[in-house]
Amino acid sequence: MSDALDRVVDRIRDVRGELAPLLEEARLARLARSEVPGADSSAVCAWNHFENIPTFFNWNNRPR
Amino acid sequence: MATVNGMRGVSRVPAYVVMQPTTLCNLDCVYCYLPLRAQDRRMPVEVARAVAADANVWAARDRFSVVWHGGEPLAAGREHLGALMAPFGPAVEQHVQTNATLLDDAWCEFFAARGVRVSVSVDGPEDLNGQRVSRAGRPAYARIVQGIAALRRHGQSFAALCVVGDPRPGVASRLYEYFLELGCDTLGVNIEEREGVNERANAHDPAAVRAFWSELVAAWRADPRIHVRELEWSLRYVGAVLDGTSGDLLPRELDPIPTVGHDGAVVLLSPELAGFHDPVHGDFSSGNVLQAPLSELLVAPRRTSWVPEFLAGVEACRETCPYFGFCGGGHAANRYFEHGRFDGTETEHCRNSKIHLLEGVLDHVRRP
Repeated sequence: MSDALDRVVDRIRDVRGELAPLLEEARLARLARSEVPGADSSAVCAWNHFENIPTFFNWNNRPR
Repeated sequence: MATVNGMRGVSRVPAYVVMQPTTLCNLDCVYCYLPLRAQDRRMPVEVARAVAADANVWAARDRFSVVWHGGEPLAAGREHLGALMAPFGPAVEQHVQTNATLLDDAWCEFFAARGVRVSVSVDGPEDLNGQRVSRAGRPAYARIVQGIAALRRHGQSFAALCVVGDPRPGVASRLYEYFLELGCDTLGVNIEEREGVNERANAHDPAAVRAFWSELVAAWRADPRIHVRELEWSLRYVGAVLDGTSGDLLPRELDPIPTVGHDGAVVLLSPELAGFHDPVHGDFSSGNVLQAPLSELLVAPRRTSWVPEFLAGVEACRETCPYFGFCGGGHAANRYFEHGRFDGTETEHCRNSKIHLLEGVLDHVRRP
């Protein structure tokens, strides 16, 4: 069972090289979003993007 | 295998509470799960005061939010919604999830004065928005757009929640372009779920759903101005896998997410269960804030009959599902409304919104 449970993680590691540019673009996109004027009052906070989206938009165990 | 930590038991302190200021909704969307949306049962201010007594304490310690949800919260009217919001101190973030059809200048001023964060429900351009209809069955799109225009006129930033009934190639890029034009900061994409009074089947062709998510990644990548909830979490997870930190990514405990119904009844973990009755589990509630403080109702969630069965289901997911580290376990309402019980594992919702999502992201980077 352990091997079966690891198969998703293994497949992610298999495409590490292909994921790297996408992850870098995502990082830059977060920085760019936090730099928009008035970011302090927007749905996305300036200093810590992911943790400061509205709590209602948390991924896990959230209402829809 | 690396142990996936997190999601063990239920926290005694929530990060947010969902409040139902009225059961009424002025729309009658085809996929809606709410059973009492044609009736105007309003939350008394005493219920809000009871919740605020704990919320103000929690907010002094950590970030805490109230989400005014429905019915349609704006259908409660400004005077009543204002009275319900008043007991919550300035440290409590207030959010409203609205269908936007009642939004006007006066509502925008109301939100601005109180620092309320707004999220609108809209499913995309007019031809993809046909499930959102009035009580007379007429399309609500024109009124939704009019309401969002008021937000933009007032410079009010907003998030959007979009329900997708038919996830397939061709849809995702159109949706993303639409939401870029709409001007939302944050977007949540919900593949339609089978829950509540919505009994429509939600099984889709796996290849089509994967292609939908893969296409959304490509569209987002071309102009990543919007924080897309599903993509942000996917990329955060794969990044953590590559860094070797994914075992600690999930929250340590489940958030109880208390939903406080119009009458003060509290339902934990899944707002979609509120208003339903089961021969074994009754009304799913864990008590009423008019009879006991909310903090007291959260002390022993396992006393609520269905919660231990749900927690067994989360552990079953941990033991059997290779996507658990990404997902954290199926939601209670999806398990119940798809399986008829809480300790089953994989649901159609898991496949549509978690498994095919992650696979779609991987498909995107593997493309020739």
